[in-house]
Amino acid sequence: MMRTLKLEFYKIRRKKIIPMLLLLLAAEMLWALLSNSMNVSRNPDQAVWESILFTAASMNGLFMPLMTAIVVSRLCDMEHKGATWKLLAALNVGRGRLYAAKYACAGILLLAAAAAQAVLIAIYGLAKGFPGGIPVAWLLRFIGGTMLATLAVAALQQWVAMAVRNQAFALCLGMLGSFAGLAAALFPAGVRRLLIWSYYLDLAPVTYRYADSAGVYAAQPWNAGLAGAALAAAFLCYAAGSFHAARNEI
Amino acid sequence: MRMSAALVIETRKLTKKNRVLELDLEVKEGEIYGFLGPNGAGKTTTLKMLLGLVKPSAGTVRIFGESLRKRRSAILRQIGSLIESPSYYGHLTGLENMRVVQRLRGVPDRNVEEALRIVRLEKHRDKKAEAYSLGMKQRLGIAMALVAFPRLLILDEPTNGLDPAGMEEIRELIRALPGRYGMTVLLSSHLLGEIERIATSVGIINEGRMVFQGSLDSLRARSRGEIRIAAGDCAAAQRLLAEHGFQVASAGGRLLFGPLADREVAEINRLLVSRGIPVTRIEERRRSLEDIFLDLTGKERSL
Repeated sequence: MMRTLKLEFYKIRRKKIIPMLLLLLAAEMLWALLSNSMNVSRNPDQAVWESILFTAASMNGLFMPLMTAIVVSRLCDMEHKGATWKLLAALNVGRGRLYAAKYACAGILLLAAAAAQAVLIAIYGLAKGFPGGIPVAWLLRFIGGTMLATLAVAALQQWVAMAVRNQAFALCLGMLGSFAGLAAALFPAGVRRLLIWSYYLDLAPVTYRYADSAGVYAAQPWNAGLAGAALAAAFLCYAAGSFHAARNEI
Repeated sequence: MRMSAALVIETRKLTKKNRVLELDLEVKEGEIYGFLGPNGAGKTTTLKMLLGLVKPSAGTVRIFGESLRKRRSAILRQIGSLIESPSYYGHLTGLENMRVVQRLRGVPDRNVEEALRIVRLEKHRDKKAEAYSLGMKQRLGIAMALVAFPRLLILDEPTNGLDPAGMEEIRELIRALPGRYGMTVLLSSHLLGEIERIATSVGIINEGRMVFQGSLDSLRARSRGEIRIAAGDCAAAQRLLAEHGFQVASAGGRLLFGPLADREVAEINRLLVSRGIPVTRIEERRRSLEDIFLDLTGKERSL
């Protein structure tokens, strides 16, 4: 398995996956930090860690589904384009192993993106002089929540990207997910639970509560049920996708 | 009679629903086996079943004397293959594509160098595979199949899309493999001329059924000529020859025989002349391999 995973990283050279990921990450964080910076300059009482964590989590609803779709799609597309399924199968690389390696490769790249977000948030908070030290526990929960949602989204994306050669489908799904992630806060809680793209915000360590005409940032307790739902969605999509890929004859 | 110990590939009643029917394929060690058949005959499906890429509906496959179903991993380690069009990562260079296979095979760097040298791609190894010509892609596919210098090489229409010079180059390469590296080669093609130039044994498949299997010489033996004799009184001649045990037909005022030995032709001529039936012409009409192939794939169902 490790050999197949290493090979995935070898194969993505010149696919420009990392530059694309960095570009989207830069756009997202620039947007989040600028928006937070403007907000803080207008409302100095919002110069707290919660504000940037919430802004970044809500931005993740928009950007992470796109990043996930692009990464997963690029990883699967290279096998479709070069008709390399049969080459790998003839070299005794099982479809299941290849599927797992691709999923792990995407997971590692997206984990690196989530970790980079946390580092940027910490640097930004320190630069802005937010009270208290770096909230390590919140940052870890931010990474954990982002990754739980991302793993579910990636599993669904990989299923589609493997099953349908034309990657326009997978990318369209990513865009729809991105829209769902952005608009998630507008849906009732019951509907939100069905949309895995809304989990970025719901699994974040902070939330924004509206009280009368104003709103306040508040710590959001860890929702084990939601985390379990994200894991279950990831598992189901992964298992279905892997089964589908293994069943297809070459 | 073939000895099963010498068989590298042995299939029994290998079947894939609607595509391949009860195929008994036998490939001996060290031979170049040409697997011949028209497009859509079931060649690629058969080769895929030999590699475990397609699951047979029925039948068994034994490779190197072992069951493919039970020992697929160990068997595949000893096989190099190129099925249908070459598979490659277009965004990687030729060398990087070789490295992918090298890592999966766990073979040393020198194998990569040697395989690239054999297919004459060493000068283009740092070029992206997507920029290769069709012939270069085909050669890259062969190099990837060769990189572990396997005991068995399976090539599916390896000269497809190549220009005549490229085709000859690939043929030369394949011809040299058993002698130089001790490989057994199973090669599919829909071109008889191709198989004739390279193969030592041949299997002909049509509509999923094996219609001929044996050496090229035994296939050539089928090209022995049909004898036609023009004689004065055709009906009397036919009666006379039949009385003497010859199987003879007539058409268009000529006596028609199957393949005959020289001494039999002389005997027929002597008999006719001795009974006063003038012999005006004796012709031998040879069937080309092409005719035999067309007969096998177009008319005959089974031998």
